[in-house]
Amino acid sequence: MKIVHSWLQEYIHFSLTPEVLAERLGKLGLEVASITRPGEKYKSFVVGEVLSCERHPQADRLTVCKVSVGGEVLQIVCGAPNVAPAQKVAVALIGATVPRDQHDPDGKPFVLSHVALRGVASFGMICSEYELDLGPDAEGILVLDPKAKTGEGLATHLGLDDIVYDTEITPNRPDWLSHLGVAREIGVLVKRPPKRPSVRLKEGKHLLRKVLSITVQDKKNCPRFAARMIRGVTISSSPEWLQKRLRNAGLRPINNVVDVTNYVMYECGHPLHAFDYALLRGGMIVVRQSAPGATFTTLDGKEHVLPPGSVMVCDAEREVSIAGIMGGANSEIRETTVDVVLEAAYWNPASIRRTAKGLGISTDASQRFERGADPNCVEYALNRAAALIIDLAGGELLAGKIDVCTKKLRERVVPLRISRVNSLLGTSLKKNDIMSFLGLLGIATRQKKPDTLACKVPTYRIDLEREIDLIEEVARVYGYDRIEAKSRAYVILDQPFPTKSLPERAREILIGAGFSEALSGSMQDQFRARIGGGEPVRLLNPLGVEMAFLRTSLVPGLLDAIRRNQNFGNPDLRFFEIGHIFRVDPSFPERIVEDFVEEERVALALTGEAAPRQWSAPARKADMYDLTGAVAEFAEKLSLDKARFISYSTSDGLTESTLSIEIHGGYAGFLGRVREDILSKCGVEGDVFVAELLLSSLTPRRKMKYEQLPRYPKVRRDISVFIDRNLALGTVEQMIRQAGGELLVGVNVFDVYEGEKAPHGKKSLAFSLELISKQKTLTDTEIETAVRQIVHALESEFGATLRSVQ
Amino acid sequence: MLERITQVRQEAEAEIAAVNSQESLELYRRKYLVRKGAISQLFDQLKAVPPQDKPSVGNALNTLRARVQELYDEKAQLLQQKPSEGVRLDLTLPGRKGFRGSRHPLMQTLDEIKSIFIQMGFGIADGPELEDDYHNFGALNFPPDHPARDMQDTFFISKTALLRTHTSPVQIRVMEQNKPPIRVIMPGRVYRNEAVSARSLAGFYQVEGLYVDAGVTFSELKGTLVGFARQFYGRDIKYRFVPSFFPFTEPSAEMYITCFLCKGAGCRMCKQTGWLEVLGCGMVDPAVFTNVGIDPEEYTGYAFGMGIDRTAALRYGVDDLRLFYDNDIRFLNQF
Repeated sequence: MKIVHSWLQEYIHFSLTPEVLAERLGKLGLEVASITRPGEKYKSFVVGEVLSCERHPQADRLTVCKVSVGGEVLQIVCGAPNVAPAQKVAVALIGATVPRDQHDPDGKPFVLSHVALRGVASFGMICSEYELDLGPDAEGILVLDPKAKTGEGLATHLGLDDIVYDTEITPNRPDWLSHLGVAREIGVLVKRPPKRPSVRLKEGKHLLRKVLSITVQDKKNCPRFAARMIRGVTISSSPEWLQKRLRNAGLRPINNVVDVTNYVMYECGHPLHAFDYALLRGGMIVVRQSAPGATFTTLDGKEHVLPPGSVMVCDAEREVSIAGIMGGANSEIRETTVDVVLEAAYWNPASIRRTAKGLGISTDASQRFERGADPNCVEYALNRAAALIIDLAGGELLAGKIDVCTKKLRERVVPLRISRVNSLLGTSLKKNDIMSFLGLLGIATRQKKPDTLACKVPTYRIDLEREIDLIEEVARVYGYDRIEAKSRAYVILDQPFPTKSLPERAREILIGAGFSEALSGSMQDQFRARIGGGEPVRLLNPLGVEMAFLRTSLVPGLLDAIRRNQNFGNPDLRFFEIGHIFRVDPSFPERIVEDFVEEERVALALTGEAAPRQWSAPARKADMYDLTGAVAEFAEKLSLDKARFISYSTSDGLTESTLSIEIHGGYAGFLGRVREDILSKCGVEGDVFVAELLLSSLTPRRKMKYEQLPRYPKVRRDISVFIDRNLALGTVEQMIRQAGGELLVGVNVFDVYEGEKAPHGKKSLAFSLELISKQKTLTDTEIETAVRQIVHALESEFGATLRSVQ
Repeated sequence: MLERITQVRQEAEAEIAAVNSQESLELYRRKYLVRKGAISQLFDQLKAVPPQDKPSVGNALNTLRARVQELYDEKAQLLQQKPSEGVRLDLTLPGRKGFRGSRHPLMQTLDEIKSIFIQMGFGIADGPELEDDYHNFGALNFPPDHPARDMQDTFFISKTALLRTHTSPVQIRVMEQNKPPIRVIMPGRVYRNEAVSARSLAGFYQVEGLYVDAGVTFSELKGTLVGFARQFYGRDIKYRFVPSFFPFTEPSAEMYITCFLCKGAGCRMCKQTGWLEVLGCGMVDPAVFTNVGIDPEEYTGYAFGMGIDRTAALRYGVDDLRLFYDNDIRFLNQF
């Protein structure tokens, strides 16, 4: 909210500089986001008096004016049709930055320089409202009040040489949404409360009750509704002082009656509404809920469909205002208004918020009511506004007010234990300190028991309901900075030392293996969310179609990362990501929230060259086996179990040539080459190999444990065989292990050959076998026997022929 | 005889310096050390020496032979080290490299934060990103239909399911499942329904801290966070705590530190204020304790939270938060 310095001074005197004030309010929790001096814009602008006007000798549409700017008389060439002698005008002097350029499509500012217009020199510029950024009128120059003082700074004349604090207010402090509220906080700083203007009202003879009746049907949402009426007002624009204040506070002056309601709201924080009595049918006001599906046109001319349960102020026949949010076009104050009905009410905050949210509008009034206004301020706001209207617009106040108050709000009394203040804050404040801190906030205290104060909270402090709320107030006024920063960092000794989490260890292994960690967004378009498999979770209020679903797999995010890097000339990539995926699956047992499943996964992707280009080895594209190897290493290190890779016969939605990965004998994830069509839809070039695993499936099932080292050396024998080309390596290897028995501790395929030299339908496989005995050094005979057993098994089971043993 | 021995020694010592190749070394060996060499010839003359002089002359000869052999061995070793055929190996060729793995800068920042709190005795907890309204708002003392909910624009999944807007629901889950003392930090991804820009993201990381025990004070909250800030941002930082509002803490505060870029003089990063807001914190609101079945009269506690993305951006001088999620290796490899 914009708070105006001179306006604050109406209620409290203080001599703090704006910067110091802002800092000290900040320490009380009232944040001043910026301090502006609106007049600074008009530093080189003055009030000028047009002394004479002559037609430009060369141009019909230009006028050559002599303009007095106080000390001197300037010759100014002016293009406006309405310039005339004796006018008081706004003059930009040479060097001034004119806020808006009339000839620029965006209205950008420009610096005024010496010019000659069609051969006649011009030493300044007479400005329009638009050029000054004071309004939309660009047709002619702005003509000022004839009483304006020639030579006076324009900012001073316009009342803009003020200081404006832009405050940012937390939702718990609606009382700060007014000048009096801020003045009260300044009162804490200067140790003196602000003064609220007193109101004296002179009522006429005619009774309000005779011409207006009020019925509140929705008592729950309208605990208080009060009204007064002024007859015979003259609607006009407000006096300069009022307009200036409103402008500085960021409000647009409208007319004297509406301006008064806004002024009083910005003064004391309570929103008001004024109706034209002539437009209220039946001389009555009824507060009730809207009919289902009803529409209503607000005073800004917009038509709204009212959300169900909207509370409306109505006359005998129709709605005239959306309660606490915005008035209607059908009953607003207009130039012809003579009799004004002034409304001051208190509305249920939750109801206002629901309706405002439903309508998608937020107004000064709704912001205050939904945070909570002060029900006891109704009467003051009503009287203050009535008095000001009579002052500014004339008229006679009808006798009496109508005040339908279903629930009187008393000042709350909250007990506060002194011991609790100190034990929570870690302070040693005395009773008297606490009482004086609270006193500065207008909270009266009385000692009830030795340790307890009874604190009477003003009704404008709707946020203070409990002891803890008062403790915060004590801390605030005492000063957070004055509370000592004590540290007693200590370790709870009976807890196990925290070990590294699974994702943390996964991260370490993968980084060590040369993978770069990626993090991608969780929200995706439907295409990406669907390729992961499973029913994707849809957002009810997404930012756009590209972010309407939650990811079902980490792979699409990595594909996007690959595309981006390819586009920037980096095609050789190894990425991993650890993150959550989501899907809808009401049948999944381990759901936490409703029908939604959330899993932590780890995904790997590689593409491009298998290794960075180097001089000592030929370049090679990465392939499936680069990934299989990386995944096997990773899975084994992390899970302390060997991963099994099982070939899928069919391809799923994301990959082809897919392997499923088993760890601890159960499904842990998949690995494969990303399908062509998906790559092209994601704009990725070349092959991409991906794996995705459920992180929890990699949890080790055993503790790391020492196993005795073999006491005898290991021996190696290499064998190569021709074997049926269609046999999978896994099958052959399994047979070798089975035949090798317990002496065989390692099988490693080191050559696969399917070329012309192999017999028809055969391939050559070469294995390196590692043999060891726990009991003794193996003799050549024992080694040969073991190898022969293996070869024999391959021959008899698979029809293999031995090529060589080494 | 002894004169002759000394002469040979001096010659041998002088000549060894000129030996600079295998060939000249071999010549040297042939001159002195072979059976017909200079030293052997001297040994042959030993027979002619009078018997009383024999021991001393024999001794001198032995010393001479040992000395020359030593000179020869040293030189031989020296020549061995020199590549015999000039420089054929280009040692400036780059070594063989694999891919360089890298830890994401957000995770590096989080790791540092985690290790500081772990060292202070905090454990680590996590919870779901897809939360229910109760854990994200209700249990944290956000009343229904209250403007405090507008502080955190929410992505909804259903009427009551949503993407968590902060890591604070993990506080609730931890307190529901554990008895005090509780001391944990809770990192994770959170979501806000805000337009994505250089300065704001719809999904980002936070880390939350919670300490519940008998006798936990606001003063201790300050002490812990000041300790953290000094370790994380530097020993010389100045700090201040300013009152704020979060529904789940009271008193609530925001912690500021002196801007480490301008040292408090005012710059673009700190919006000319000299101060940077680094975290939000406060004492756990008694209503939150009541919601999780902890007696607020028996226990007090504090909680704090900070955004990892913003913290990392400040730390590394990253001016566009979106870079953290573009996964551009030119960016990632800088960390």
